[in-house]
Amino acid sequence: MPDKPSTPVAAPGRRLGFFLLLLGGVAFYALCLSVAEVSVPRLLEGLPRLGTWIARSWPPDLSELDVLVYRGLETVAMATVGVSFGALIAAPVCLLAARNTGISPLVALPARWLLNVLRGIDSFVFALIFVAAVGLGPFAGVLGIALHTAGSIAKLWAEAIEATEIGPVEAARMSGAGRLSVFLHAQLPDVLPQLSSILLYMWEFNVRASTVLGIVGAGGIGQELKNSVDLLLFDRVLTILLVILVMVTLIDQLSAWLRRRLS
Amino acid sequence: MTTVLAVSGLSKRFGHLVALDDASLEVAAGEVVAVLGPSGSGKSTLFRCIARLTEPDRGSIQINRVAYDGLKGRALRQARGQIGVVFQQFNLVRRRSACANVMTAALPSLPAWRVALGLYPPALRAKADDALASVGLAAQRNQRADTLSGGQQQRVAIARALMQDSCILLADEPVASLDPDAARLVLGLMRDLARSRGLGILCTLHQPELAAEFADRILSMEAGRIVSQGTCRA
Repeated sequence: MPDKPSTPVAAPGRRLGFFLLLLGGVAFYALCLSVAEVSVPRLLEGLPRLGTWIARSWPPDLSELDVLVYRGLETVAMATVGVSFGALIAAPVCLLAARNTGISPLVALPARWLLNVLRGIDSFVFALIFVAAVGLGPFAGVLGIALHTAGSIAKLWAEAIEATEIGPVEAARMSGAGRLSVFLHAQLPDVLPQLSSILLYMWEFNVRASTVLGIVGAGGIGQELKNSVDLLLFDRVLTILLVILVMVTLIDQLSAWLRRRLS
Repeated sequence: MTTVLAVSGLSKRFGHLVALDDASLEVAAGEVVAVLGPSGSGKSTLFRCIARLTEPDRGSIQINRVAYDGLKGRALRQARGQIGVVFQQFNLVRRRSACANVMTAALPSLPAWRVALGLYPPALRAKADDALASVGLAAQRNQRADTLSGGQQQRVAIARALMQDSCILLADEPVASLDPDAARLVLGLMRDLARSRGLGILCTLHQPELAAEFADRILSMEAGRIVSQGTCRA
């Protein structure tokens, strides 16, 4: 009977390396737990208080439902306009950042650097800055969403464009066409469903994310949420949470349906 | 006969690998020249260097007796308009119609907004229809490229090259992905177009029997060099 092939055994040096890596990972996680001040006693102490608030939230206060629904629509409007502005910024930048559009690395590298900066700063932080610059209200939220989303959309779009086939591009180049025509004719049609899907996903994500922008004064239903929590109006908080839940579910379903249709 | 393509001393290295070594050839108007050779012999590198999809290290290329090597930017783009190309994998835009793919050849004359919206002038549409009709695909003009058979896709690629009004057609293994019947159909079509339009055709092939049947001359390649050539048809 032939011998069974032996399972390769890791060399002692590699085993020690793996052990040290594991030890380092555990130490880092323990440090994170300490810095984040995670405390089970404090959680147990706070649970009864939370229970009281939940009990006080029922029944939900529907007296200002029309105002809250309007604030919900304001949130959707902020996300929609913010994402559309972000897409307008992202469109040229993603062409500069993609590696297969024939753009010089001297332009592509700063473009990618700009994308990293925009993605690295959350829309919440941008909104905080814009509230100081343009005043309280949804416009600050729109600008915050637009800048952060521009970075995210452009990066995802650039990656989608980089994954397109080179063949049709070469065929179009051989016609003597310029870069923009080559992209519009040979790459955009194949990648358009993906680009649209990414855009819809970012819209869906931003509707969810922008529910908290009101906390920094950037408009939307988040502002009502903060006011109600500050005033301990838990029946109103529950109504707001229900409005958010219905709104986000509807947007998620609509976006998922559209993305299915596109694919 | 007028020489439409003249290549002299074309060479290309990839690191230590000599992919193309001092290749020289000529193609006359209306002539079909087949390049035969095993895989790795340098056929595709020859094709890509002549098209300047890959930059050759040395050598000269003349299209219609005008230097094509050394051109850059706008001059290179304008010169490319004289070269039709047919690729092994067809290289069609899959989600576009056969007609829109043929229209690729007209891109340099169209503004970006027309290209983006796919709104082509009627005269160009008519020309694309004629090109599709000449390869027997008039009925498939509005069909999406990825729904066509391999043979049909390659014929769309030939129509795309014809639309360009080029004087030379470069074809890299145009029948490698096709069944024998479709291969004969495509090569027969290319030969007929060479005769009727005075188009010079340089075509890399794997199958000697097809080369013997359809080409006027055959060049053989080995290890990046053209090692022999001969006339194969009366």
